[in-house]
Amino acid sequence: MSSKSTTYSELRASKAYYLILGICLAVLGLGAMSFFHLEHEGHHVTGMNNQVVWGLPHVFAIFLIVAASGALNIGSIGTVFRKKLYQKMGRASALLAIALLLGGLAILVLDLGHADRLIIAMTYYNFKSIFAWNIILYNGFLVLCLLYIWTMQDRAVKAFYPYIGFFAFSWRLILTLGTGSIFGFLVARTYYNSAIMAPLFIAMSFALGLAVFIILLFFTFRLDKRELGDLILNRLRYLLAIFVASVMFLELARHLTALYITQRHGVEQFILLDGGIYTLLFWIGQVLVGGLIPLSLIFCRALKNNHWSLLLASTLVIIGGFVQLYVIIVGGQAFPLELFPNAEVQSSFFDGELNRYTPSIWEWMLGVGGVALTLALFYVGMKVLRFLPESLADSEVEVN
Amino acid sequence: MSQINAYRRKFLAALSGVAAGSLASGVILRTVQAGDVPAKPADQPISNQVRWGMLIDINRLTDGGASMVEACKREHGWGNDPKARPEQQAQWIRTVQVTDKLTQHSFTLPVMCQHCAEPPCVDVCPTGASMKRADGIVQVNKHICIGCRYCMMACPYKARSFVHENLTDQRPDSPRGIGTVESCNLCVHRVDQGQLPACAEAAPQAVIFGDLNDPNSRISQAVKTLGGSQIRADLSLNTGVRYLGL
Amino acid sequence: MPLLSKIKSLLGLALFAIALVGCDAGVPEPNLAPAKAKAAQCVEPTADIRKNHMVYLDKHRDKTVIEGIRTTKHSLNECINCHVAPTREDGSAVHYTDAKQDHFCASCHTYVGVKLDCFQCHADRPQVAENPNYQHKLSSTTYHLSATTAQPDASDLLLLGSGQVQGATQ
Repeated sequence: MSSKSTTYSELRASKAYYLILGICLAVLGLGAMSFFHLEHEGHHVTGMNNQVVWGLPHVFAIFLIVAASGALNIGSIGTVFRKKLYQKMGRASALLAIALLLGGLAILVLDLGHADRLIIAMTYYNFKSIFAWNIILYNGFLVLCLLYIWTMQDRAVKAFYPYIGFFAFSWRLILTLGTGSIFGFLVARTYYNSAIMAPLFIAMSFALGLAVFIILLFFTFRLDKRELGDLILNRLRYLLAIFVASVMFLELARHLTALYITQRHGVEQFILLDGGIYTLLFWIGQVLVGGLIPLSLIFCRALKNNHWSLLLASTLVIIGGFVQLYVIIVGGQAFPLELFPNAEVQSSFFDGELNRYTPSIWEWMLGVGGVALTLALFYVGMKVLRFLPESLADSEVEVN
Repeated sequence: MSQINAYRRKFLAALSGVAAGSLASGVILRTVQAGDVPAKPADQPISNQVRWGMLIDINRLTDGGASMVEACKREHGWGNDPKARPEQQAQWIRTVQVTDKLTQHSFTLPVMCQHCAEPPCVDVCPTGASMKRADGIVQVNKHICIGCRYCMMACPYKARSFVHENLTDQRPDSPRGIGTVESCNLCVHRVDQGQLPACAEAAPQAVIFGDLNDPNSRISQAVKTLGGSQIRADLSLNTGVRYLGL
Repeated sequence: MPLLSKIKSLLGLALFAIALVGCDAGVPEPNLAPAKAKAAQCVEPTADIRKNHMVYLDKHRDKTVIEGIRTTKHSLNECINCHVAPTREDGSAVHYTDAKQDHFCASCHTYVGVKLDCFQCHADRPQVAENPNYQHKLSSTTYHLSATTAQPDASDLLLLGSGQVQGATQ
């Protein structure tokens, strides 16, 4: 079977397109307001404090960054594993990866105590710091995604396509290893200190990136009146199931390990049993909404070929992933550091107390601002360059 | 009881160490200081031959370290930032009351930056703002701190604070400001000029400050004979702040 | 159509001119009295320190923070102790953010529009209450924030990086 040629085209100008863009820009404005407010007032207006030092902005940022590396996977499956079906979505996947990464980084940078010193972060490197590695990894990721798009868009450099694709895939794996290791290497905190954080974040990136891609692909095709067939959607559906299951598997392994280590019983009991909101978020948000329900939706025979059930499953995976990051980041800090094992401690600095955190409106605004930036970049990108295939109907796609 | 007394005698002996038998009491303090922190010419860089350390005997701290905390607040001007909520206030040093769950044995001790030889906060800092000086003092170079707070996540002792608001009228020798992380710096500005850290000066009966690398210093003599335990010694960070009576 | 576009461009020009005039009226003349008050006693020649103070401060800050070198010659604390009085004559505190712009550093920095972020962390005036031995050497009569004013002359303007400040040359 010879390969059929695919026609790519820009998004057509439509009312809906400009409406989406308008909403994105409005929300982006909220994010900008929040940034200037934080910059002017300082972080005392946020819910973050000296106990819970990373809060909602970091949950948003890490969600987008993790999803970014996952979004590139669609393209990688086409390039690295030579699945023709996925190759047609490669361009959009790389664009989405860039958009997600920039959205996440924007939040991360604008939440810094000194966002005005970004130039210092780019010029002073401590090479032992995982953060510093990540700065290099993020920049490299952006460059590789751009090169990847170039090799897909320009026939003149098509020869480099498989190599760039392979390199980008390897790079994104290392990048997510780095993101997971931001937490995994924290020796002081019993909820984080574990090598499994790196593979867990990779699995999360697969699931979240795919879920975001499915939703955006579906709605963009609808919006632009392009055809999207069941063949492709069902492929993505079962792929999503595999990714969601692997996230759950790694989480299970992580908690089982921790439950075996006496030192970690305190924090495990807190998250799994009596942590109030965090326990609720873990079981209801992460396990049920983000794991079991999407899996049931995907494998329920009655819902086969049902687009809406796939969209619902993807949405739930996104909500579950967000909640999971919230439980990891905020829940992990809510449990106090243990300076003296087997002892009750108290001090004026909240030693031994469960730390409270309530995100403020400014943190929400900054977070949704980053999401809006992602969507705006994605849609503007598709409007100006040919990222989307004219049709992904069943007759157009090849399966190998 | 007699054991404790013997132990106390030993500590006293170590405490008076260098200055033992010298001059009148008023002068002793100054002599001891000069011996503990030799004055360095202002234009000379610090040396890696020195490792500053502090030994705190919590049994001799009748107030559990409250006077040390007060002295630190006075010296560095933290603890009263007008807009920050209580959980956002900075705390460079705090007193922690510890009660063993089984034995109910209880004690109070001051906890601040432990000035690790292998500080996790220095490892994680992306810009190198969180730094260890050649003489072992761990501090934040606020000129290149971007306020990411990763060091606060990494510190096992909760020694670091973030400044959540605009400040004015800081202490001239202790700059602190919005959007940067800060912590105990063993009063670098005092130590560089041959003075004791403010907290050590506030509790001379219980705290010995000095050079751990110099076998003849009072602190080296004291830790050699009496030991000195570390908080979270399991992390192998080799802290510069040691405690007696934990 | 050409007429309309002409009107449009004329209108634009007029708006631009109004804006320019507005800006012109808005530029306050800097009072360089604070900056000049103790120029002769500075640790470096006036022209040099005016142009290169940030270089000296930058070098000194790294030596102090990293190497523990605490010489006084280029120390920011000493600049402040010498050039900034803790209070005005009416007893109010002097801060670099004050609208009066009579803080030694702010008097110039505000005028040239260069951001000053030293004082986010560093004290911007001597702390007399807690440190009575600070080395402020000005008496209240020569206090550089008093009523005396000094307009920039030609050489000042050269240093301020602009020969075109409206009205300042008369």
